[in-house]
Amino acid sequence: MTVPMSATSSPAVEQTASASTTPSSPPLRPTTTAEVREIVDDAIAHNTPVRIVGRGTWLDAGRPVEATRQLSLEGLTGIVDYTPGDLTLTARAGTTLAEIARATAEHGQWLALAPWGGDDGSLGATAATATAGPMSGALGTPRDILIGIEAVAGSGELVRGGGRVVKNVAGFDLTRLMVGAWGTLGILTEVSVRLRGLPEQEATLALPLPNAPAAVADVVRHLRSAPIAPLAIEMVSATLAARLGLGQQPVVITRLAGNADAVSAQRVALGAFGDVMDVSDGVWTTVRTADPIQATVVRFSSTVARFPEVWLAADRLAVAGDGHVHATVLRSSARVVLPHNEGAPTDAALELLRGASRDTRIFERLPRALWPVLAPTRAADRLSQGVRSAFDPHRLLNRGILGETHA
Amino acid sequence: MTHAADLADRLTEIVGPRGVLRRPGELVVYRSDGLPGYSKQPRLAVFPRTRDELVAVVRLLAEHGVPFVPRGAGTGLSGGALADDVVLVGLNRLTRILSIDPVERLAVVEPGVVNVSLTRAATPYGLHYAPDPSSQAACTIGGNVAENAGGPHCLKYGVTLNHVRAVTAILPDGEIVRLGSAEGEADGYDLLGAFIGSEGCFGIALDVTVRLSPNPQAIRTLLADFTSVDAAARATSEIIASGIVPAALEMMDGATIRAVEASIYAAGYPVDAEAILLIELDGLEAGLEADVARIEGMCAAAGARTVRIARDDAERARLWQGRKKAFGAMGRVSSHLVVQDAVIPRTRLPDVLALIREIAERQRITVCNVFHAGDGNLHPNIGYDANNPDEQARVHAAMREIMSACVAAGGTITGEHGIGLDKLDYMSLIFSEDSLAAMCRLRDVFDPEHRANPGKVVPVHSCREWHGAPKAAWSA
Repeated sequence: MTVPMSATSSPAVEQTASASTTPSSPPLRPTTTAEVREIVDDAIAHNTPVRIVGRGTWLDAGRPVEATRQLSLEGLTGIVDYTPGDLTLTARAGTTLAEIARATAEHGQWLALAPWGGDDGSLGATAATATAGPMSGALGTPRDILIGIEAVAGSGELVRGGGRVVKNVAGFDLTRLMVGAWGTLGILTEVSVRLRGLPEQEATLALPLPNAPAAVADVVRHLRSAPIAPLAIEMVSATLAARLGLGQQPVVITRLAGNADAVSAQRVALGAFGDVMDVSDGVWTTVRTADPIQATVVRFSSTVARFPEVWLAADRLAVAGDGHVHATVLRSSARVVLPHNEGAPTDAALELLRGASRDTRIFERLPRALWPVLAPTRAADRLSQGVRSAFDPHRLLNRGILGETHA
Repeated sequence: MTHAADLADRLTEIVGPRGVLRRPGELVVYRSDGLPGYSKQPRLAVFPRTRDELVAVVRLLAEHGVPFVPRGAGTGLSGGALADDVVLVGLNRLTRILSIDPVERLAVVEPGVVNVSLTRAATPYGLHYAPDPSSQAACTIGGNVAENAGGPHCLKYGVTLNHVRAVTAILPDGEIVRLGSAEGEADGYDLLGAFIGSEGCFGIALDVTVRLSPNPQAIRTLLADFTSVDAAARATSEIIASGIVPAALEMMDGATIRAVEASIYAAGYPVDAEAILLIELDGLEAGLEADVARIEGMCAAAGARTVRIARDDAERARLWQGRKKAFGAMGRVSSHLVVQDAVIPRTRLPDVLALIREIAERQRITVCNVFHAGDGNLHPNIGYDANNPDEQARVHAAMREIMSACVAAGGTITGEHGIGLDKLDYMSLIFSEDSLAAMCRLRDVFDPEHRANPGKVVPVHSCREWHGAPKAAWSA
């Protein structure tokens, strides 16, 4: 057993309202599922809450966590099972998306997650946070792409949901339950996903996006009904467009894919919109990794009908906060990114964030002090509390990250 | 203790006299579902006509602590909708489509809406509901949600889970909850994902919000015929590995082809073939021919005698009808039928199908295969005479061997039919005691008394705090 564990110490947990304990000891770094189990058993025995940090690429996401120990999954890596002909893959949770991309590309395949934040993050964290990206409208979110999980529950049990095949309804769906649970039910140790064949051809085209509400609505309507089958349609604000080298005004970038005939026909269809410009496929990585190190990130998820309006409101918010916004048309979801250095975004931005909205606001990252102000718990209902108790009865895992209260 | 006649009277006050069945003779038709071989008689059956009636029924049952089994159209293939001396809640009268929104591409339906009726209602908008179980002419959306139903076109478009945005459900204790979000991304635990496929153990859907999909611009349906199952299996593996995602990729073996061709569902399949693949490609018109040509090439390379492309919608419909009614056609062959639903990795199709043939020969039974080859979702089915105990024993032994072979190949025990009663014994082949116990605790969250569809999905002995499925305590 090589896991560095502080065998007996059970330091008092700091329980201030807004700040979480910052564990001073180095993170525990298990390399096997068995070691993860030992850590959880030890946490239960000593009642020491644990923060799961994945590979540590996104530490300020989610609400402040109260913990005396950190558990890194950087050592729990590697592809466990990959038969290219099955188009499925199983990897340990700490495996980076980049490693999976390399392994699958060799066989002309890919894992179509491409979440915000780039490929340095782990498969486990992408699943646990249900982080999607620009292609999720066409190719699915982690909820759609995962086919199975293995996890060490907060109860210490090793549980499996789903399996390694693409279709599976055996038993109650522990996989879906763990996706987006932010590690509060169990520590993912292994994840199975479905893969896709890489498209024969790809093209990324940009077209200018007008500013007037009616014109935006027009573009969105036409893009949704045009004879194209894009992998992604992303609207980006002027500031982000400038960073992408696409001029000084908002643009829509569209990723086309298919065989040669399909791509060229879609290119013609898009040409009907006016001035389209071929751009490098690299813009997708740039959009995915455009968040500053310190930022407030909020997603506004709306209906199709309200989407143009939401886009314009999000753009105003981005301008006021000196940030940028990009929006996934096929999911009607706008993602606002506001940089902040000392503390909070500006009062104007805060005002807009607080503003009454019929749309779902999902906070990815906030300055610590703003979490309780803007983002009340999202797991307070009886069923969610019950689910938490069923898997993590002692509330040891990522305590507080969902804003949940605990006794 | 509950007096059945008193409860029936109280239920009648809610749903009217035509909505309650209480005489054993009337209840006989509810003794089985789509899978013959199991027979359980409900004590009472109740058929609410409206959401309010359904809510009142569930709350009355909660008040009396009576277990119940929700049932849609009863087309399920796992014995999941059987009520053993408890109350059967039939949802097939809640058939209203509450809204269709062509802009949002969403529909809100009551649980008893028949799958294909929704697609029919969406057709004027150029939309359809993608999951298409073979029983789609009869099965209900509520039942589809309970089973996380699939269908041939789920290969490209995903199963029920991928198409349901929100559910309003009544929990067994009578509380009404909203799961998921129709307006955008849902946040917090994916309770909707847990509810879908929970086989009626977590509550009853009052309404379901589903995604509607735009109809594809173009469709090509191919029929490839082979002189061996092995060649068809190899062609399937090749196609999947190529990265082209057909809308559907179905296989039927020789015995199935001949049963279909001898029935009223005759589709013009070549009766001397040992296997056919029904392959559908859809999407944009541009580029489709190139994919069709590649698939033709792969079939030919694997040994296909011919690859025929349906010339028009009528021919296409006929080819599909034969596939979707294949189970029905087999009714002509034997009095009883068992069907399995295991899923295996797609590269293992040739060797697992060979193994199934070997098991069938050894046990002296006939296995017909008609299944979703593209997903690796097998449906070996075995016709037999239930009055012949020796044959029945050999069938059961073969079923267990086939299931074990599929699990050993890295597969699972059910891809779309559910566990129900039929596969309870196989759960421990794929799940550890810890996993099963966790599933039990998840059920406890929704239904701490285990009154909804008692005794299904997870073997009772795996539930550490439970020692038997609750039975209704009927007084004389």
